[in-house]
Amino acid sequence: MPALEVKNISKTFVEDKVKVKALDDVSFIVEDEEFVCLVGPSGCGKSTMLRIIAGLEKADSGDVIFQGKPITGPSPKISMVFQLFGLLPWKTAIENVEVPLEVLGMPKKDRVAAGMEYLKMVELEGFENTYPHDLSGGMKQRVGIARALALKPEILLMDEPFSSLDELTAKTLRDLVLEIWRRKGEPPNSMVMVSHNVEEAVYMADRVIVMSPRPGRVVGEVKIEIPRPRFEHRREPVYFRFVDEVMGTLQKGNHKQ
Amino acid sequence: MRGYLLKVAGGFALLALMAYLIGTLSPYPEMANLPLFTLSTITRIFITLLISLAWGVSFGILASTNRTASIVITPIIDLLQSIPILGYFPLVIGFLFAFGAIGIELSVVLLLFTSMAWAIFFGVLGAVKGIPTNVVESSKSFGLTGWRYVRHIVLPAIAPAVVSGANLAWSDGWFFMIAAEYIQYKGDVVVPPSGGLGVLLARAAYHYEDMNLAVVLLVFITTLVVVINSLTWHKLMERANKGTFKPILNIDLSGIGKLEARAVSDLDLEDLHLPKSFSAVAQRLRRYSRAERLIAYSSVLALIIFIMFSEAHHFPSIADIQAGFSTPPAEFLPQLPMYILLTMGRLGVAYLISLAVAIGLGVLAAENRLMASIIYPIYDVGQGVPILALFPVIYLGLTDFIGSQRAALEVTCVVMLVLDMIWYMFINITSAVKNIPSELREVGQLFGFRGLKRVTHLVIPAILPAIVTGSILSWGTGWNTIIFSEYLPQSDPAVPAVSVPGLGSFLDISGYVYGNTVLLVFTLIIISVIVLSMEALIWRRLLRRFEKYKVEV
Repeated sequence: MPALEVKNISKTFVEDKVKVKALDDVSFIVEDEEFVCLVGPSGCGKSTMLRIIAGLEKADSGDVIFQGKPITGPSPKISMVFQLFGLLPWKTAIENVEVPLEVLGMPKKDRVAAGMEYLKMVELEGFENTYPHDLSGGMKQRVGIARALALKPEILLMDEPFSSLDELTAKTLRDLVLEIWRRKGEPPNSMVMVSHNVEEAVYMADRVIVMSPRPGRVVGEVKIEIPRPRFEHRREPVYFRFVDEVMGTLQKGNHKQ
Repeated sequence: MRGYLLKVAGGFALLALMAYLIGTLSPYPEMANLPLFTLSTITRIFITLLISLAWGVSFGILASTNRTASIVITPIIDLLQSIPILGYFPLVIGFLFAFGAIGIELSVVLLLFTSMAWAIFFGVLGAVKGIPTNVVESSKSFGLTGWRYVRHIVLPAIAPAVVSGANLAWSDGWFFMIAAEYIQYKGDVVVPPSGGLGVLLARAAYHYEDMNLAVVLLVFITTLVVVINSLTWHKLMERANKGTFKPILNIDLSGIGKLEARAVSDLDLEDLHLPKSFSAVAQRLRRYSRAERLIAYSSVLALIIFIMFSEAHHFPSIADIQAGFSTPPAEFLPQLPMYILLTMGRLGVAYLISLAVAIGLGVLAAENRLMASIIYPIYDVGQGVPILALFPVIYLGLTDFIGSQRAALEVTCVVMLVLDMIWYMFINITSAVKNIPSELREVGQLFGFRGLKRVTHLVIPAILPAIVTGSILSWGTGWNTIIFSEYLPQSDPAVPAVSVPGLGSFLDISGYVYGNTVLLVFTLIIISVIVLSMEALIWRRLLRRFEKYKVEV
């Protein structure tokens, strides 16, 4: 059974009385222990797709099947990392990690322990009691990742998690995320990331799903067959071949219009 | 266009009908002057608006582009705007007696100016400072300097702020109209020779004590304000908002059907150009160095001395000041500490009520679409009501109801304060709730904050900075209102005025009844000290503490 099954999702928004078709009959699956990346130009509905999986938005038609049941709302088993971090500015780093656990009813002692553990995992020891205001962008996103991981999610969703960071920080965090994901037997099991950065997608994903804009449709998918860790292969022709292939599929999507 | 003309004709017909009915049905002969007096008030406020515009735009640009000018002008104006309208009374007296009839008209315009001009100045100041650095730098690199810079960059950039500032000035003018058109001095009532709506309202309420007429006049004034607003300002604001760097406050009255959409779109007011807008308050609390404060205070002191000079035609000597402290109402001076406590008590009670109601309504309106569609229209029309004009109406109503004049005035005072303070709290809170970034809302949804958890973890912390801002603004306006509402003037000098003991009534009695400038200024200084120490001890600390809570996007 796949970890996640997206079946014929369509979604239309009304903006200034004009109907915009954001998603048109989108289907794909995410396998167990797979890292899937949705790539496409802005306006192709990839973020909307991610929010439907997260249970934050409702589709007009179609279903997302998770553990045999259609998703109807947010669940701790599917967690999310946001583009602009989504930290509560009035909570310290550790409190930000703790809040979702508090909602789940975890006792204070366990919460603090979990908070420390996950902040350590994202290499933020010593910043537990710092407010987001005093953290750099990269550190904020580390808190965002720790918060998502603390829920021990089956599936981790990431909405352009590195696009508001500088390239050096982004590089470090990509490797951190990959390293956490590849730990055997520990959540998260599968990853779904949204990106408009083709190099990033090829570097991280097992499979890249390419989408086209207005209406958002799947135009193709590319299985990335580069051995991991990919850090060692990032200068090899095989890497650039896959980048070219994804680029080509993107172009094809544009021409269809 | 045809729709617009229909609206103009419809509004005019409605007002004309109301004026006709009031004129014919009311037993008092002067009510027949209603159309003429309406025109007179409109003209007066409009002229003051033009003067305020000329002053506000030129000084605003000067203070925001020239550093030296900024250091001197901004703090002074900041302090001047916090002085209640009555504080300018001594300045007005000079005109009153020097120029006769024209002098009275000038005095009214001057009083109105002191309550209207600031909104435009601070709006311009904020807008010029809000021009993005990249625009400033690119224009400099293309050689736009001096007048060209003002013409091509500054003027277009401030246009929306000028329009919304002018709109607020216009509302402020209507708000203070009743205080400005009915000046009392040493037992005499001075009204502008060309009349005005404030004159009629004050006559109806104070002289005839005719509750029904007062309410009818109030409805007339409110309708007038709403009609004028929907015919002029809304169109202007819509037009001015195009091509700006940031959205500004835009509250639309036309078409209540659009409200629901607006609750979501228009009311995410990024930065409001309120009379004492957040940016101005925040700047004042954070920016000023000790040197700047010193300059500001000494300038204000110099100004006060100048005012007293112009009144007395010589600089106040120690003897003058001593004389001031030994003539009436100096015999009440020992009770001053109690007056302070009483006035602070009224303000405190009104503040707590407004705080609770505004948080409740603001959160409800922002979280619940149905509530929004009920609350926003009330709020829209409510802001058209000149609240000061409500004073006699509420008082008369309560006197009938309670029986005791003192008790009625006490309640009226708190009601007035609440009505006045709540609007600042509400607009700040609502815009803050609306401005919670969608990502944070999603975080709340994703991690399952519901009901009370959502309110305590997400909504309340997010609006805390706005609550502090709203508090500062509402206390500021509260001081203004309490001076007006602790003391009820009587048009017949033989009848003693009704008042409740407090700092406001003491100030009124010093100014209105005895014309004791020394005590008036003394009371104003006490008020300023209280306002400034509250700022330093409470608000500034809270503001700094909640600074970090602001969501950066």
